[in-house]
Amino acid sequence: MQEFEYNNGAQSSEDDCLGYIDSVYCGSGVDGTGLRCVVFFSGCNLRCPFCHNPETLYKKGEAVTVSALVRRIVRYKPYFRRGGVTLSGGEPFLQKQFLLKLVDSLHGQNINVCVETNGQIVDAEMIAACDGIICDVKNQETDDLSAYEKFFKECCRQGKSLQITNVLVPGKNDSIEKLQSLRRIVLRRDPSLKVKFLPFRKLCEEKYERLKIPFPYACCREAEDKDIEKAVRLWEDFK
Amino acid sequence: MCREFKAGDYSDKIDVRNFIQTNYTPYEGGSDFLCGPTERTSDLMKKVNSLLKEESEKGGVLDIDTDRVSSLLTYPAGYIDREKEIIVGLQTDAPLKRGVNPFGGIRMARQACEAYGYKLSDLVETEFSYKTTHNDAVFHVYTDEMKAVRHAGLLTGLPDAYGRGRIIGDYRRVALYGVDRLIEEKTRDKRAYSEKPMDENNIRTLEELYKQIDFLKKLKEMAALYGVDIAGPAQNAKEAIQWTYFAYLAAIKEQNGAAMSLGRVSTFFDIYIERDIADGILTEKEAQELIDDFVIKLRITRQLRTPEYNDLFGGDPTWTTESVGGMGEDGRTLVTKTSFRILNTLYNLGAAPEPNLTVLWSEKLPEPFKRFCAKVSIDTDSIQYENDDLMRPIFGDDYGIACCVSAMKIGKQMQFFGARCNLAKLLLLALNGGKDEKSGNQLAPAGKSFKGVLDYAEVRKAYHKYMEWLCRLYVNTLNVIHYMHDKYAYEKIQMALHDTEVERFLACGVAGLSVAVDSLSAIKYAKVTPIYNENGIIADFTIEGDFPKYGNDDDRVDAIAADLVKEFSDELKKTPAYRGAVHTLSVLTITSNVVYGKKTGATPDGRAAGEPFAPGANPMHNRDMSGALASLNSVAKIPYSCCRDGVSNTFSIVPSALGENDDSRVENLSDMLDGYFMQGAHHLNVNVFDRDKLVAAMEHPEQYPNITIRVSGYAVNFHKLSKAHQLEVLKRTYHARV
Repeated sequence: MQEFEYNNGAQSSEDDCLGYIDSVYCGSGVDGTGLRCVVFFSGCNLRCPFCHNPETLYKKGEAVTVSALVRRIVRYKPYFRRGGVTLSGGEPFLQKQFLLKLVDSLHGQNINVCVETNGQIVDAEMIAACDGIICDVKNQETDDLSAYEKFFKECCRQGKSLQITNVLVPGKNDSIEKLQSLRRIVLRRDPSLKVKFLPFRKLCEEKYERLKIPFPYACCREAEDKDIEKAVRLWEDFK
Repeated sequence: MCREFKAGDYSDKIDVRNFIQTNYTPYEGGSDFLCGPTERTSDLMKKVNSLLKEESEKGGVLDIDTDRVSSLLTYPAGYIDREKEIIVGLQTDAPLKRGVNPFGGIRMARQACEAYGYKLSDLVETEFSYKTTHNDAVFHVYTDEMKAVRHAGLLTGLPDAYGRGRIIGDYRRVALYGVDRLIEEKTRDKRAYSEKPMDENNIRTLEELYKQIDFLKKLKEMAALYGVDIAGPAQNAKEAIQWTYFAYLAAIKEQNGAAMSLGRVSTFFDIYIERDIADGILTEKEAQELIDDFVIKLRITRQLRTPEYNDLFGGDPTWTTESVGGMGEDGRTLVTKTSFRILNTLYNLGAAPEPNLTVLWSEKLPEPFKRFCAKVSIDTDSIQYENDDLMRPIFGDDYGIACCVSAMKIGKQMQFFGARCNLAKLLLLALNGGKDEKSGNQLAPAGKSFKGVLDYAEVRKAYHKYMEWLCRLYVNTLNVIHYMHDKYAYEKIQMALHDTEVERFLACGVAGLSVAVDSLSAIKYAKVTPIYNENGIIADFTIEGDFPKYGNDDDRVDAIAADLVKEFSDELKKTPAYRGAVHTLSVLTITSNVVYGKKTGATPDGRAAGEPFAPGANPMHNRDMSGALASLNSVAKIPYSCCRDGVSNTFSIVPSALGENDDSRVENLSDMLDGYFMQGAHHLNVNVFDRDKLVAAMEHPEQYPNITIRVSGYAVNFHKLSKAHQLEVLKRTYHARV
């Protein structure tokens, strides 16, 4: 996974910070607790071959101010009894000022904010700002999980609610060894932490076609229920 | 009167609400107390299921009695299984055998018989050759213009060939007071009206009162055929349910209205049930058994319809709507254990479209009830939800829903069902200078045909002009229909179960709202140019550029929707309605959106000619792309204040998008209903199912016999839908996060 340098050319004023987002999806039941609006940030520092949102890789989406975005989100407050907003992407932690102002402004409206991150940017301030962290571990092409260790450590230091996810790609990261090394770094941090395995799906293929870029994992098999069950079983069986 | 009940105003005058308020026990607990089906219930249901299967194998109709005309005393007592039934009474002498009811129109009765291989008997034919039916009378009076817009499908589904329905008798009155007391009250009313000057209105009222009293007497006789005396009040739960059912049964024997709704009986029954349980004469198991048996009866309600009718409505619906739950005006919940028991029938008897269980949702409903409803929805797709917090301030706390979304105070208000106007077609009519885009006929006064790039302001002006013309014609057409229905097919038993002075609504409707709205948005925000065919009629449009689409919580277009219904509602009110009825409006198309689409040419939003509309107030298929909540927010902006007859929205979501596990799905659905209704939205049908499952069901119907899905305002068995409807349901936007 290559690192991606991005150029911050956005105009942002002191009180109304400008950020780049791809879209806002209103009504997810599977991106954190309760019903949530998901803000997909534009721009990512990773190039994962299984990426489900290739349209968010580059920071070229819609330029939006914090106040305009909050105005759009506040309309959904009636649905947020247990839910709120999930910042996803792309990598939300790449737009620090925008993220901090956005979270602050949403908190001003009593809206819960969690973030979905790839855990590569260990920033105590941004971690502290969010009410919950969902971190996806990308171990499909690498065995170096040191970045995650640092990230988990900071989350735990702050006592942050942390949900770890892992996209299970058959043949890539569903082996005993892969699972075991993931388990090791997770449990070292906190024995109560659990990993949620997400099945690798190829529903995003159309997006790649539209964007005219190759889908690196096009040849991989989709994960099925039984693959997930197997991973969970292995996880629990480890001594 | 039942001695043990707390006394109240209801003892002195007919006031079921007061009886409920004085005696009911709100229930704030969970569903743990519920019982499964008894062996008897399962056996009886097995028998019913095999009859249903036989009915379906015979092409949808099991049997028809062609020799007699359906009414209260036409048939001897009929049973499913006399030994096993607890609540008795069938529409004819055998289960699922359909009676003939030609009062609305002999033609439809005749055609329906023929379509299923029967022939209406000479006896009935001869008898009705001397009678004027509602259908005859309407056509005696219809003007050429009325016939033309009806034929073109600008006004559709008008109740001019069968019973108009949508009237809810207060069937509970029979249980609470007994028939004799009701006769006594009506006789007293008749005496009072006899003192008034004999103008046309008063004479009509007196004749109606005569008919009401006559049919109350017949109701007593009908019960006697089953060996039951309903002259006095019901003394226990079984009797309360039986008495109430007899009253409903009388209504569906007398009338074949499209929607013959039940009202709001669960909490009323609960008072009797809880008293019997407290007295030790009824167990929970037996209480559930009573409700199960009652619901079995409701499930086999049938009317004789033509196959075309079934095509229009997607199956064979009766809209036996029962309104469940809600809050009282005093802040106590109207949820009782029997609210749970009636929903529990969907487990005990299996999912089914009827009765049309409608939960009156309030933010303040007890949490365990909210969760139970959400769970039942997810498991069975058989519940619809309507906003009690929105309706209670208008209709009080003893209203019921007729058909899908029409609220009325039970026993105090009724409506004249007015079907709907095709808004999308009306727009094409305006663009074509008053010509029908399908036939080329000049339907409306001639105006200018639009050429070149369409100008929004000009189109809007022309649209308004034709709206004025159509609204006037629409109300006048309905006036003719309802004058004749009152005259030739008056609802004698249902109106006997209303106060003598009732408030009436003229329930108008619109179809194709999202198509009209997106079309206007396209004209406003993109560049739309009509393409003419060789006959000088617009055949299609070119659309350059993008435009905001209804269903994405975008005020630029959602405001057009709100304006349009307000404009239409205001126009309707300019033409006085028959019998001083109050004009109301619904945005509801049931499944007929498929048929309306067929009758409508290509529209400026890019919809191809003949393509189905979205149902009710739904955004157009696959245009609401900003998420489920954005779609709901758009619909929530349609103002109920202009649409007092309801705003229907059908919502489909795949289970995996609603939440990660059963618990979170239940919580999320409950939150979604809270959030939607808190914004003043009116109605939501909820379907939680995988698209894949429906595709499989289409290919292998035998493997999925009982898939019930919600369409606008009611539930249907997926397999009773025509192929076109099935495809339309599949096409409907599924909210799934990709």
